[in-house]
Amino acid sequence: MAVDITLLFRASVKTVKTRNKALGVAVGGGVEGSRDELFRRSPRPKGDFSSRAREVISHIGKLRDFLLEHRKDYINAYSHVMSEYGRMTDTERDQIDQDAQTFMRTCSEAIQQLRTQAHKEIHSQQVKEHRTAVLDFIEDYLKRVCKLYSEQRAIRVKRVVDKKRLSKLEPEPNAKTRESMSSEKVSQSPSKDSEEKPIPEEYPEKVPVEAQPELGSWGDGKGEDELSPEEIQMFEQENQRLIGEMNSLFDEVRQIEGKVVEISRLQEIFTEKVLQQEAEIDSIHQLVVGATENIKEGNEDIREVGTLGPESDSEALSLTRRHLVRAAHTEGSRDHAVDGPVP
Amino acid sequence: MVGAKMAAAAAASIRERQTVALKRMLNFNVPHVKNSTGEPVWKVLIYDRFGQDIISPLLSVKELRDMGITLHLLLHSDRDPIPDVPAVYFVMPTEENIDRMCQDLRNQLYESYYLNFISAISRSKLEDIANAALAASAVTQVAKVFDQYLNFITLEDDMFVLCNQNKELVSYRAINRPDITDTEMETVMDTIVDSLFCFFVTLGAVPIIRCSRGTAAEMVAVKLDKKLRENLRDARNSLFTGDTLGAGQFSFQRPLLVLVDRNIDLATPLHHTWTYQALVHDVLDFHLNRVNLEESSGMENSPAGARPKRKNKKSYDLTPVDKFWQKHKGSPFPEVAESVQQELESYRAQEDEVKRLKSIMGLEGEDEGAISMLSDNTAKLTSAVSSLPELLEKKRLIDLHTNVATAVLEHIKARKLDVYFEYEEKIMSKTTLDKSLLDIISDPDAGTPEDKMRLFLIYYISAQQAPSEADLEQYKKALTDAGCNLNPLQYIKQWKAFAKMASAPTSYGNTTAKPMGLLSRVMNTGSQFVMEGVKNLVLKQQNLPVTRILDNLMEMKSNPETDDYRYFDPKMLRGNDSSVPRNKNPFQEAIVFVVGGGNYIEYQNLVDYIKGKQGKHILYGCSELFNATQFIKQLSQLGQK
Repeated sequence: MAVDITLLFRASVKTVKTRNKALGVAVGGGVEGSRDELFRRSPRPKGDFSSRAREVISHIGKLRDFLLEHRKDYINAYSHVMSEYGRMTDTERDQIDQDAQTFMRTCSEAIQQLRTQAHKEIHSQQVKEHRTAVLDFIEDYLKRVCKLYSEQRAIRVKRVVDKKRLSKLEPEPNAKTRESMSSEKVSQSPSKDSEEKPIPEEYPEKVPVEAQPELGSWGDGKGEDELSPEEIQMFEQENQRLIGEMNSLFDEVRQIEGKVVEISRLQEIFTEKVLQQEAEIDSIHQLVVGATENIKEGNEDIREVGTLGPESDSEALSLTRRHLVRAAHTEGSRDHAVDGPVP
Repeated sequence: MVGAKMAAAAAASIRERQTVALKRMLNFNVPHVKNSTGEPVWKVLIYDRFGQDIISPLLSVKELRDMGITLHLLLHSDRDPIPDVPAVYFVMPTEENIDRMCQDLRNQLYESYYLNFISAISRSKLEDIANAALAASAVTQVAKVFDQYLNFITLEDDMFVLCNQNKELVSYRAINRPDITDTEMETVMDTIVDSLFCFFVTLGAVPIIRCSRGTAAEMVAVKLDKKLRENLRDARNSLFTGDTLGAGQFSFQRPLLVLVDRNIDLATPLHHTWTYQALVHDVLDFHLNRVNLEESSGMENSPAGARPKRKNKKSYDLTPVDKFWQKHKGSPFPEVAESVQQELESYRAQEDEVKRLKSIMGLEGEDEGAISMLSDNTAKLTSAVSSLPELLEKKRLIDLHTNVATAVLEHIKARKLDVYFEYEEKIMSKTTLDKSLLDIISDPDAGTPEDKMRLFLIYYISAQQAPSEADLEQYKKALTDAGCNLNPLQYIKQWKAFAKMASAPTSYGNTTAKPMGLLSRVMNTGSQFVMEGVKNLVLKQQNLPVTRILDNLMEMKSNPETDDYRYFDPKMLRGNDSSVPRNKNPFQEAIVFVVGGGNYIEYQNLVDYIKGKQGKHILYGCSELFNATQFIKQLSQLGQK
């Protein structure tokens, strides 16, 4: 177990102080010592870099707090059913999305700026490395916070898609079907209020919620026709058919939805890989260019030497040239993997 | 937090404990808690070579990054001032290091300083730093000062060595040379005891110590007992009380520390071996869990103009994350070769699976059931893509082990190490030898001169009676003809004479290594590892001397060999060093420490021994880790005097 000897250290400092005073040794501090320590900070350029870095971090922290604070409300999908404080309208949600996005963009721009600035300023290698690493940390922090945002947004989008799918109902040209629906609606509206669970298992129960405004006008306009038993049966069959159709559509859409989500994830991964490859191709390009230059220079040198020397040397020269070409080949195809500093 | 501590304690894994301690230190001496939305903190790590050796087997560069370390630098290097960053120091409290730290303070290199000393710093040196801090008006910048008590290097969950940087100071040679003065011996012993003390502080346990009489191990035991005792008496500053022990002491029994001297068994360090990890250590350049290979890429034939073959140097880290290594580091080599082959095949199958998807994707739109097929494929594609990183990692490991195993195999074939191994096993277990020793030594194809020397020394050490003068001369001549240096033999002669006086030479048990004929099976599967002409030897479990001693002491067995071992219990009030152990129950946990050096063969032997026993744990430590080459060198130097 480690032992904290900080107090021991402070005690040593006191001992040394008193000892030096007793011996009359001029301590580099002494009376001015404490003042020096205070003033020491100001002439040193506090470094805009670190203060700006900390600013960016505090901004991201604010974003994170903001997101976490409103997360519960944001996710709560059926706030329009509830009538308590936890309600958040869609516009509010959109607002949050908007704000969060602009915020994230500004943050990442700030990080980019800091990066370019850090590279421009002439500093020692170590300071440069340190700053690059610090910026990497900040970017990572931003990514983590953005994940918070994207998670809750994904949930919201999924809910919206679900809702839209359910609420889509093409009005039948058949008036009777409308009748049957409105009659169904009437019988089932009392049950709607009691149900708060959003599981869209049976669509007919949900339809009245959304269809209400649409059908209300029609329902009022028509008069009550007599429904003969055959007609009732026919309506029932139609209903069954429609239910079947809706279900299959529902299934298909669900599948497609799932696939789209997967594809988007894959897309993300592929983009990442492509970007990586781009960087690698760039570096290979650089290498090849360099190699070509070298070969050119080498050939020129040989030519010079070739013109000066006697005939018998030309053989050796052509061999050397071939070697150079081969060297260029192997250099260009060799992978230069750069290892980071390892302790 | 407490749960994690208890889990770690139950495993008594010294590696986990040291890693946790390091991580806490890097987190500004506050326990480390993972927080996914935590703000980043950054710091700079400064270490000396000792600190580097301790950290490198435990934390990779990535893990350092995860802890927020932007730069890690050697103390004695040119360092530029980096403003506004805290610096964590992890150094030994030596004169040089303290001077350099004071210089750093004067030059105002960093914003704040967290000083961590690998082993305890003395009061006077602390005052030196205080002086410098005062002079530089930097006292408030020194945020924390800690004694870490981490002065040992952990290589495995259950294996540690004392040091790497100054191992010559505590080497076998240093301890056993005839011209050593008392003060020098004191220094060596103090160094060893300091590290062992740190070890037990980190482990959080006070052991019961047993050691043999009249050896360097006894000196270590006496000093260690004294140090532990002093620390326990000092109630205020004791390192073994309260919360340091509390959650850490899961077993109700104290561990047993067995201190043995290298001199009880000189044959094992010279032995040729057959298990993977020990082989890698024996034939390749392997230390601190890193193996360095030189590969010659001599595949292109340069027609005219002799260009030298380019040698690629590769180094690999063999870490706890490497599942193949963890599984096979104690396996006999042919098994390893087979397993690599198997892994390669399964990897290829998975790769083909992924490649097949490519062609399937091209079929979309041809069938009517395209949508349903597509759905399957999308799912397959997603799972394939998500398993890609895993596959890549697997490939990397397979490549690594293929390279390492191939390098080892080359050595085995070139030097006929399997023959040596078999022969030595026979010698050590006193079964009849089918080939004469002289034949092997005179055989120009079998092995390097060093291999022959090793073989002969093992024969000499294990012989009940020394060979007659005439025989000896014959052997000596054969050895010299083969190109061996005879100095080690000089020393072994002396040692044997001394050992005979002290006690009966230890026997190595009765076992055989059963050869299973040539490995045709592996050849037929078109394996990369053509073990043609290499015997498939099966190891039968035998107990090396060290393991035997441990067994006796741990299980409280009576045995003339160990009965008169000394007994120390630092917790007892009276300095009682009688040989009568108070504790009659077998121990659950034991630590074996070899003073004078150890190797992987012994470690593996102990691991195999304890595998059969449920609920018992062994830790193996030594003052330095050497392979046969290094050991022969030391013997040679000793024999020169």
